[in-house]
Amino acid sequence: MPMMIVPESSAVRLTARRRSDAGARLRPPASAPSYDCPRESPNVPFMSVSQPDSTGSALRASLDAARVELRAAIARGAGGRGTLERYADRVDGLIRQVFTDAGPYDGPVAVIALGGYGRRHLCLHSDIDLLLLFGNGIGPDEERFVHRFLNPLWDLGVVVGHQVRDIEDFQRLETDNPEFLLALLDARPVAGARSVFERFGAVFHQADTHAFILRSLLALIEERHAKFNDTLYQLEPDVKDAPGALRDLTATRTIALLTDPLLLRRGPADAARFDDAEDFLLEVRSTLHLECGRNQNVLSHELQERTAEMLGFPGAEPGQRVEKLMSDYFRHARIVSRSLEWARRTAPVPVGPNMGLSRDGVRFIDPVQAARNPASWPATFQAALDAGTEVSEEALSCIQQHVDRYRADDFFVDAKDRAALLRFLKPRPGLYARLSQMHDCGLLGRVFPEFQAISWRVVRDFYHKYTVDEHTLLTIRNLERLTTTDAPHRVRFRSLIGDLQAPELLVLALLFHDVGKWRDDDHALESVRMAEQVLERLQVTGESREVVLFLIRHHLRMSLAAFRRDTEDPEIVKQFAALVGTEERLKLLCLMTVVDIEAVSPDTLTPWKAELLWRLYVDTYNHLTQRYGDELIERNEAGLTELQANRPDDVSATEVTKFLEGLPQRYLHVFPRDTIYRHIRLARDIKPDEVHLSLEQKGATWALAVATLDKPFLFSNICGVLSSFGMNILRGHAFTNPNGLVLDAFEFTDEERFFELNRDAQDQVLHVMQDVVSGRADVTARLRGREQSILQARSSLRFPPVVHTDNKASGRYTILDIVTGNALGLLYRISRVISQHGCDVDLVLIATEGEKAIDVFHITKAGSKLTEAEQIALTSGLQRTLEGTV
Amino acid sequence: MKLLKSIVRPNKVDDVKDALAKLNIAGMTVTEVRGHGKQKGHTAIYRGKEYNVSLLPKMEIEVVVPDTIADEAIKAIVQAARTGEIGDGRVFVIPVQESYRIRTGEMEK
Repeated sequence: MPMMIVPESSAVRLTARRRSDAGARLRPPASAPSYDCPRESPNVPFMSVSQPDSTGSALRASLDAARVELRAAIARGAGGRGTLERYADRVDGLIRQVFTDAGPYDGPVAVIALGGYGRRHLCLHSDIDLLLLFGNGIGPDEERFVHRFLNPLWDLGVVVGHQVRDIEDFQRLETDNPEFLLALLDARPVAGARSVFERFGAVFHQADTHAFILRSLLALIEERHAKFNDTLYQLEPDVKDAPGALRDLTATRTIALLTDPLLLRRGPADAARFDDAEDFLLEVRSTLHLECGRNQNVLSHELQERTAEMLGFPGAEPGQRVEKLMSDYFRHARIVSRSLEWARRTAPVPVGPNMGLSRDGVRFIDPVQAARNPASWPATFQAALDAGTEVSEEALSCIQQHVDRYRADDFFVDAKDRAALLRFLKPRPGLYARLSQMHDCGLLGRVFPEFQAISWRVVRDFYHKYTVDEHTLLTIRNLERLTTTDAPHRVRFRSLIGDLQAPELLVLALLFHDVGKWRDDDHALESVRMAEQVLERLQVTGESREVVLFLIRHHLRMSLAAFRRDTEDPEIVKQFAALVGTEERLKLLCLMTVVDIEAVSPDTLTPWKAELLWRLYVDTYNHLTQRYGDELIERNEAGLTELQANRPDDVSATEVTKFLEGLPQRYLHVFPRDTIYRHIRLARDIKPDEVHLSLEQKGATWALAVATLDKPFLFSNICGVLSSFGMNILRGHAFTNPNGLVLDAFEFTDEERFFELNRDAQDQVLHVMQDVVSGRADVTARLRGREQSILQARSSLRFPPVVHTDNKASGRYTILDIVTGNALGLLYRISRVISQHGCDVDLVLIATEGEKAIDVFHITKAGSKLTEAEQIALTSGLQRTLEGTV
Repeated sequence: MKLLKSIVRPNKVDDVKDALAKLNIAGMTVTEVRGHGKQKGHTAIYRGKEYNVSLLPKMEIEVVVPDTIADEAIKAIVQAARTGEIGDGRVFVIPVQESYRIRTGEMEK
């Protein structure tokens, strides 16, 4: 198989993969010698069975001459490095000649030596591993060129291990081919365009790639050693593969190359002894190749005598010479073996560009380079966090020494750096410790000069026990601890963290909630002002920005309400609900309050206080989810006035009023202004049976707004259509205004990438939805197949579904709370049951937290709340559906 | 002397404290407590599930006052802590035989 190669550095056959399958057709002519036959004996000149042309004979002559010279050197006992390098150079000349003869080819191409040949240690019978690298795609022209290049080599009987690639192929790491990746580390350009080789280098040498190769190499070493029972003291050693032999030697150098180029300087063997060992092992290998006439690397008993003689070991008897040979072998193998062990033990694991993980934590491989690149510093802390370790003292001193040279902007060069910082702030074990290290070495205060303002700041209030900066970092520690706590009074707060859509915003808010304390005035306002600067630098905008500022501005409000106000008073809860507006903000503020109080001193958050906070949370949550149907937008509402004032030209004042009046006030809290205008346009001129859609991608999720006029089974039909396209609904709202206009807003993930893969996806969804809503199509049939899909099958319910109805919470509606395992088509099934019971779905809140779906329906029957009997019937109907018994 | 042990709503502590201060009663002990009286708490519902809130958070304020102003102090506490709703709390009045100041060993009757 010509597309398979057996490279020097590998005992495993490598399959060449290319974009086109043309390679499969690249076979040597039938007359070419088969590679499986022994081709040469040491004393018979090589004969080809094919008919060489005139160029062929010139090539043959130069190859033969090179081989004769090599054989002679080996026979003199000089088959070591120098000789092999000379031989490699002559083969280079041959390859260049073949490359020139193969022209003309117009595109960019390079011939690159890999593995042992790349290192110029080409033994007599080693394969010649080549990479034919194209710079501009592979088509028929390239295929023809490959033929013209390889055929003469095959005709010469050279065993070529070749790979054909386009540079683009290296954008994706060939993780199933670690030997090939290893061989690429020795890549050396032989013929063709230098620029192609350089482009390859830039694409290939990435921190991730190096880390992967290192991991693979360590695994390969272990595997190979196991085959030799993990001992180098073999009576008949394989001078290539055995522990302590050539492959270990190369591996040791590779580990150093991939982790710390200066590693071996600190190792057990100096460079000269290491080179001696290499020279010796190569000499032995050369002798074996010459003696056997093939790629034979085992120094067997029979071959030991001949090798000892050729290498000139002294001794009267063959036995004495062999003994000298073997003791030299073991001496060298031990040096190699010890160096490799040392490298494996001490080499830092690469965890990023110029970053390695050592026993003392994450450190810079090259501190000089690191000192010049401050944008790489925060990544060190992320790497330490990921690895569950710390940043090494060495790296911290390096940062501390140079940090004053840089300004805040130097740490965020581009959007990638800013996104990385936000990712770093996700609460998880270790975050506090890393932030503290960052603070101690001065980096935190440089990245955020605002934070520097409260460094060691003492505020004497007989209440706080720590300096302001430490108090701040402790709030983050408390949050991080909360993520894993099992303490009885904490565990319910822990569940809130899992619900958060962007917990890093909470950490950001915590980091700056008290920075205003550098002054003695009202610190919350000053903190907001300073945080605005930070957010601007980080380019945190929109809702995220508002959330952070909201939390900082109001960080004392929840404890005030919980501890100083009568929370039994519904008016207090109502006011607090109006302050937070949405469940997400409520959860954030609640968590912020808990961790802030806890950071004052170890005893400040008593179970008693925790209980008060939790009750306020629950009451407010219930108010937000169950009572919002009673709080409608009125004509002189502040939010409405603001929308009128800012409305774009194509939206009229009447339109705004007509659309918003009678919708719950919650609507104004949930949607930003631009979205509201989009909804207004969507609802324009809507006729019965018409459905208007608008779709927007938001990161990993999609936002869909549907406007239509109310009718029975509407909500379940809409949900059913989405599910029938495989959409997983995460969050959503359904609103009905007094004019019968229905507005449903969903956020969902497109698990099957329907929108990505189908250009007309939006039209398809629209058509199906119109057909279903108008009764022309039946969604049940569309869904049946999907619901029965094996992918949707659930072995058992993770937790029993909760169905609860309440007639007291709202003045107008019966509230139906459902908490159950999320599943495809769940909303469809639930809302269908509701409609089947003759109930109208007026408002819906949809939330998902992990695998749990939390849905709150506001329903009525013939315009009134449900009677007790109707509630019982509906509840049991829903229970049966959710338990899958109907 | 009388020990006045008042169980009040948490949000009323500051009012009670101010009212007592007006009577020049400065020393007091405030404790976070939980309990229930006739108002046996209620069941709260979070996401469709009931959870028990039968023990309600209250504050306990203890003051020791001379017999002469005990009635006035009780009246001040009641007025300050009262909302008129169930759950306003109670004041217990307990006779104190004698008390010692730990720093000096002085005894008061």
